[in-house]
Amino acid sequence: MRIGLDPEEQSFRADVRAFLEGYRNLNGFFHQDERWPEVKGFYRALGERGWLSLTWPERWGGLGLGPVHEFILWDEAAYARAARPPLSAGIVAKTILRHGTDAQKQRWLPGIRSGELHFSLGYSEPQAGSDLAAVRTRAERSDDDYRVTGEKCWTSYAQDSDYLWLLCRTGAPDSRSAGLSLMILDLRADGVTVSPLPTLDDAQLNEIHLDGTRVPAEQRIGAENEAWKIVAEALADERHVQFPPRRLRRDLEDVIEWTRAAGLDRDATVRRGLADLAVEVLEVETHAMRVLAAVQQGRAGAVEAAANKVAGTVLCQKIARAAVEWGGPAAIVRGEPLEFLWRQSLWETIGGGTSEIMRGVVARQGLGLGGRR
Amino acid sequence: MDFEPSPDQSAILEAVETLLAQRAGPERAIELAAKGEYDFELEEALSEAGFVDVALGEETGFLEAALVVEAVARAGGVVAAGARLLVAPGAAERPLPGPVALATDRIDRPVRYGAHARTLLVADGDEAGVVRLEPGEFEPVPSGYGYPFGRGARSLLDRADSLGPGSGPRMRGWWRVALAAEAVGTMAAALRVTVDYLKQRRQFGRAIGSFQAVQHRLAECAVSVEGARWLMLEAAWQGARPEAAAVAAAHATTAAARVFRETHQLSGAIGYTREHDLHVWSMRLQALRLELGGAAAQRRAVAESRWAGGA
Repeated sequence: MRIGLDPEEQSFRADVRAFLEGYRNLNGFFHQDERWPEVKGFYRALGERGWLSLTWPERWGGLGLGPVHEFILWDEAAYARAARPPLSAGIVAKTILRHGTDAQKQRWLPGIRSGELHFSLGYSEPQAGSDLAAVRTRAERSDDDYRVTGEKCWTSYAQDSDYLWLLCRTGAPDSRSAGLSLMILDLRADGVTVSPLPTLDDAQLNEIHLDGTRVPAEQRIGAENEAWKIVAEALADERHVQFPPRRLRRDLEDVIEWTRAAGLDRDATVRRGLADLAVEVLEVETHAMRVLAAVQQGRAGAVEAAANKVAGTVLCQKIARAAVEWGGPAAIVRGEPLEFLWRQSLWETIGGGTSEIMRGVVARQGLGLGGRR
Repeated sequence: MDFEPSPDQSAILEAVETLLAQRAGPERAIELAAKGEYDFELEEALSEAGFVDVALGEETGFLEAALVVEAVARAGGVVAAGARLLVAPGAAERPLPGPVALATDRIDRPVRYGAHARTLLVADGDEAGVVRLEPGEFEPVPSGYGYPFGRGARSLLDRADSLGPGSGPRMRGWWRVALAAEAVGTMAAALRVTVDYLKQRRQFGRAIGSFQAVQHRLAECAVSVEGARWLMLEAAWQGARPEAAAVAAAHATTAAARVFRETHQLSGAIGYTREHDLHVWSMRLQALRLELGGAAAQRRAVAESRWAGGA
């Protein structure tokens, strides 16, 4: 047991921090929609350093490093509010590396590695949110193509992405998890309509309507009807970067700064509240470390990740709410430094698996309690 | 970074757990609690097997000692393991004869293990002191909270040998780590016994533990306990650095309130009885919450170590 980074990892952290100095005002972590050209530039710069492919095998242009490096990069990027890990270099690339053919690797990996190609996650549907096995979007095979028809929703960044990482039904309508396939769908193809759903953080999610959209069969990843296991594995690939704890550290620092500026930092209630929040931030960091440890050891880490997600996202809301409650109505004027956090943090306990799903994972898988959901 | 116990750490844990399986456990704790007694035999066995020397060992350190303290608490051992294995070596930087009790200058108030201790470690401002106690100098104090307590006249403190300037904060730091380690082991056991019960207790044709409303509350407890555990280990690893120690104690005492409340509520009537083992651990959580100034003082210590002066 060795708690803390080793010297090589510390030196990588220093490199990352130095690199991020150039992106202090990027603000893509919260405002990727608005800042897409700049965020894409940031991803390209990461690509030039090989930092989008830190853990890929060297044969495919990766650096062959471990998950600790990825964690450090995205944890620091979250602290700097620079950007979130792109779906392309994470779930998409890692799934292609594991299940793709050599031809698919050659076709997709170079563009992903350089930060050029970007994907949105096409899992959720109106009737399939937490219950992903209920996906209905249908892909019909005809010769060398699939024709895809259906509705995807709550899709982040689809307005800027090149491709959709699509989970769709190729089996019988009632085949649940046994009839799903994964495909790469060109968002600029015929029959694709992307409609914005404006959100409370002044950004957007999207609805995607697919009407007989063509997907070449060579863009299916893995075998037909066997996507369920692949999707579960892919979740495990990204658990250690999905909820970086330094985002919370930064949130709390911003709140502390604000209490000083507002002259509240001598108030006993405020000080006690800040101390409680500080304890919780450190608690969440330990949960994140446990997720990282699980990924490092090649374990699925579902329980650790669920604990981390529920603890981190509930805390994220507590931090934001504290500031607003101490500040009173003046704190919710648009443009005040922390009112945005309060609006944005609403999403955190929902996106990426709701708190209720996460608590169920801890109870059933962690504590071994029976029952369904 | 490496979170798995090393082979040596695993061997230590396995050895102490084997010893505890033979000599500790809820039955033993209940028997001793009924008489207000201390488990001198267990302390002797831990000492003979070398566990009290783990913190200052050549190949082992405070992290290993914290793991042992946690294991003793999990087994419901009626010994002052945290004081002897962590606080004494941390504050005095040498082993002290056990049992060891920990106190502030208010030894006229109940001190955990006070009536059985041979060594009293006192944190008084900037200096910690050691008082050798003779039997009978502390008077036993009855309590239904799972630990024997005692109190003594404050004049006993006149005999204290100072451990030197700076030893007071050092002792408080290790006390917080020890408190957290005992709370973590105790919480884990309280949660385990509750989960086991809820898996077998059936109502409305199914195990109570399969109801979502129950599961989510237990899940929250499990997350808190796991967080407390790693904050405690991190604080031990960092040599009881003031902020880390305060954070570990503050989080553990906060989690203890939740675990106490939820394990009892979810266990229902059986948990209110002495038939059921839950009380062996749950009542101790209440006692631990009051130590070293109580949960509020642990939080204040966080604020002080982090923002000495302004926020």
